Amino acid sequence: MTITARDRGLARCEACAKLSRLPLKNTQETRHCPRCNSALSYRRPLSLQFSWAYTLAATVLLIPANFLPILTVVSFGQGDPDTIMSGVVKLWESELQLVAAVVFIASIAVPVAKLVIIVILMLVVQVRLPLSKQQCTILYRFIHFIGRWSMLDLFMISILVTLVHMGNIANVESGPAATAFAAVVVLTLFAANSFDPRLLWDLDHD
Amino acid sequence: MPVAAQRFVLPYNSVMTTASPIPKDLTACPDCDLLLHTDDATHDRQGHCPRCDALLWDVSNHARDIDFAAAISGLLLFVPAVTLPILHFSMAGQHGSNSLIDGVWRLWQESEQLLAVLILLCSVVAPLVHMLLAATIGLCQRLQRYPNLYPRWLKWHNWMRSWSMLEVYAMGIIVAYVKMMHDGDVAVAPGTYCLSALLLCIILCNQYFSEEQAWQCWEQRTNA
Repeated sequence: MTITARDRGLARCEACAKLSRLPLKNTQETRHCPRCNSALSYRRPLSLQFSWAYTLAATVLLIPANFLPILTVVSFGQGDPDTIMSGVVKLWESELQLVAAVVFIASIAVPVAKLVIIVILMLVVQVRLPLSKQQCTILYRFIHFIGRWSMLDLFMISILVTLVHMGNIANVESGPAATAFAAVVVLTLFAANSFDPRLLWDLDHD
Repeated sequence: MPVAAQRFVLPYNSVMTTASPIPKDLTACPDCDLLLHTDDATHDRQGHCPRCDALLWDVSNHARDIDFAAAISGLLLFVPAVTLPILHFSMAGQHGSNSLIDGVWRLWQESEQLLAVLILLCSVVAPLVHMLLAATIGLCQRLQRYPNLYPRWLKWHNWMRSWSMLEVYAMGIIVAYVKMMHDGDVAVAPGTYCLSALLLCIILCNQYFSEEQAWQCWEQRTNA
């Protein structure tokens, strides 16, 4: 038999980890943590609603992020705008397979995997997909760990547009997909942060 | 092998009233809300949740001054790391270089303001504020003086720490270096060394900063 903190009327502060008592009945007034004065709740309020909103917004923005040009490298007047995928293909063709793999993982595989995983986690909670809670928690930790690495492409753009800025000889310019991709990265970070993993384990208790 | 914390099971007849104090050794797992007691396990270096394996506590870092020292070193290194050129690129007699702050400014001028702000936050503002707050919090603990803003500083510290992404930036430098190798001469400039050292400071500071201890200091403050 497992006892959760909520079963005993205890809530863990999300900011400072202190346990405090919280009335089980939903009262109008918000209780605050005695140690750090953050608002207390048993579970993150509106966790799934926020996660769905961020996930849907990120999914829509994946389209412009992947189909619009993200980077244009011009040298001696020659060069075409590149999308994320064509950039990876060019890297691969110029014998830079390792870099191509890194960029592909950070810019394409990770954002898509994150969105798929968040949707799976939310479906487990909402329609009770029969998946192991342990494995779902591992997935949750995985998206938290991996999320920031999607910023790689954006940092690289910032480095390249500054480094290669030589007028007609060579120039690197960012494209409209850069902002869309940045929005995807930030929205997936928000989506992962608003999902409350305790909802998964609550399924065992109802 | 870290020993898992023992599962806390209250006897059925013991009713915790709202008046009774919460036992000191009681904690809840952040990921699955399992109620656990930590009494028997405090001598272990790390405690993991028996149900979902979340890290509950880590007391392996006894060297208490390292986080403070790393934060101060990080602050000293910050200005050169941000302003000195990171890479040099030369092609057909033309030269170019970049620094962290130039990268933000260049994007802003190319009317990518949103992107510029995001990169400014993740590569300049968040690392700086993170180090500043880590040093300030360390100073408060050493002087035993806790101003009313202390809890807010700690929360901001955590927020800034999650948005400080210099390690990803470092990977971006490597990728940019390899990518431009074929087009011209790329060389590592002094900023890279400062940035590597700053990164080391940030990692050390994260590793040795004890949040729970910082909160306990606030809870047990005497000048409240």
